[in-house]
Amino acid sequence: MAMKERRGYRSGLVDLPMGEISREIFVNEDIYAEEQERIFARAWLHVGHESQIPKPGDYFVSSMGEESVILCRDRAGRIHVFLNSCRHRGMKVCRYDEGSTPVFTCPYHGWSYGTDGRLVGVPYFREAYHSRLDKEKWGLVEVAQLANYKGSIWATWDPAAPSFTEYLGGFTRYLDLQLDGWDGREGQAEVLCGVQKWLVPCNWKFPAENFSGDTYHNISHRSVDLAGIGPSGAGRRDMGERDVSRKLHVCIPDRGHQTILYVLPADKVPPPAYLNAPIVAEYFRHCEAERRRLRGPEARLVGAPGEIFPNTALLSRQPRTMAGWHPRGPHQTECWRWFFVDRDAPSEVKSILRDYYIRYSGPAGMTEQDDMENWNYAHAASRGTIARRFPYNYDQGSGTAVDDYEYQGLRVPGDVIDLTEVQSSEQPMRNFYRRWAEFMEADDWSQLATWRIGERKAAE
Amino acid sequence: MSGPINIRELAPGTSIVLADGAEAEIVANPGDGIWLFARYLSSPSDAALIGQEDMIFAQNVVSVGRSGAA
Repeated sequence: MAMKERRGYRSGLVDLPMGEISREIFVNEDIYAEEQERIFARAWLHVGHESQIPKPGDYFVSSMGEESVILCRDRAGRIHVFLNSCRHRGMKVCRYDEGSTPVFTCPYHGWSYGTDGRLVGVPYFREAYHSRLDKEKWGLVEVAQLANYKGSIWATWDPAAPSFTEYLGGFTRYLDLQLDGWDGREGQAEVLCGVQKWLVPCNWKFPAENFSGDTYHNISHRSVDLAGIGPSGAGRRDMGERDVSRKLHVCIPDRGHQTILYVLPADKVPPPAYLNAPIVAEYFRHCEAERRRLRGPEARLVGAPGEIFPNTALLSRQPRTMAGWHPRGPHQTECWRWFFVDRDAPSEVKSILRDYYIRYSGPAGMTEQDDMENWNYAHAASRGTIARRFPYNYDQGSGTAVDDYEYQGLRVPGDVIDLTEVQSSEQPMRNFYRRWAEFMEADDWSQLATWRIGERKAAE
Repeated sequence: MSGPINIRELAPGTSIVLADGAEAEIVANPGDGIWLFARYLSSPSDAALIGQEDMIFAQNVVSVGRSGAA
């Protein structure tokens, strides 16, 4: 085959029937460039949380794919997401991480925009432009769609994308575990302190697949388990509730979202947690009781690492965080981690959780450091001419998922593998990369909304 | 000729003189060093501007009149 034809993405690099994925999709610069258009310009992406911009004029500079965006609240209290780039010559109009302002002013030539995105200030408007510049036409570029889901802000550049809840499909159940209060009340989460940000020399898909539900790499965290950073003085988390639960891989086919999930037996109350901090232990004991009262059988679900396609990770239990894997070239990822607490939790509880969260996650977190080391060296060792010839193996547990899983009366829709005995599967990764390949091959959302095609056929 | 004016330091209530001889009073200062929100007190070139609020570009401010609240 001619060299030129081999450069970018081609069908077959993700070969799920064979359980193989080419290393090219992680290290090939042409494929990376195609991802920016075909994935990051079309998918729904996590931008931030409304608790980061509580007042009119507040802003938080975020990222959608490679591009800088401003999440802000205008003077009327409406939330917007804008491309952080002046319409005149492209300079960033906001170079702080967060703050509050009446206007975003480009430092290059001085064009200035209101927090509603309108162009409000043009130097020498009367003199040099003779008052003829159409300011309405030259406002900041705004995302095509924005969704506020229980306080979390999501956006897409594609006007043809389905609504955010349709994009999530059945995965709302797991995002709810992240954003609802521990006591079961809806949308009680708030961001604790700032966002941790750091660079890892690896492709963005390494962390994305890891947080899709890689239980196979637990051996990497052996040392932190031995050190005992957990909130009860052992391991890295409280494992009591997990030891009595069914442990599942849950994948939402057609959507590319997947998670680990624990399901408690119908008659079990979660064992005590946070035993090193009585005030936190009491808080969670109270919340768990309330959750069971408000949510009934649904309170048997215990969240664990998961991934919303393409680049948002969830971890709703311990530590309670969300992460974004922002592509910064094929060989570098900027990792962002938000930490969450119940906004009504006592300040002592928030303070203790903060200490635990940063002990576990982020650039100084003992568990996250293990992960970073793996992604860093796996990526570097996959870049070479020889290394690229040999695909990775993704065959673990192929053909063993069921789509009608039920445990003691609680149904779990999706493609599910019960890990309680088998320990591990790569179903979540296959689900992620199946969706990745669909995005790389589909021309538009009429092809990407594969569930609609199924629904249409069923109706016929 | 006076030295360069540090736009960021000008408080609301301060009056400024613009390049075309107009005088305006600062209403708000966003602190970006580039813009001021001000109300025209006088405008020799366009009387219709008097009393109106406008964004004033820093390069248009030629001098500072009376000071506003710090």
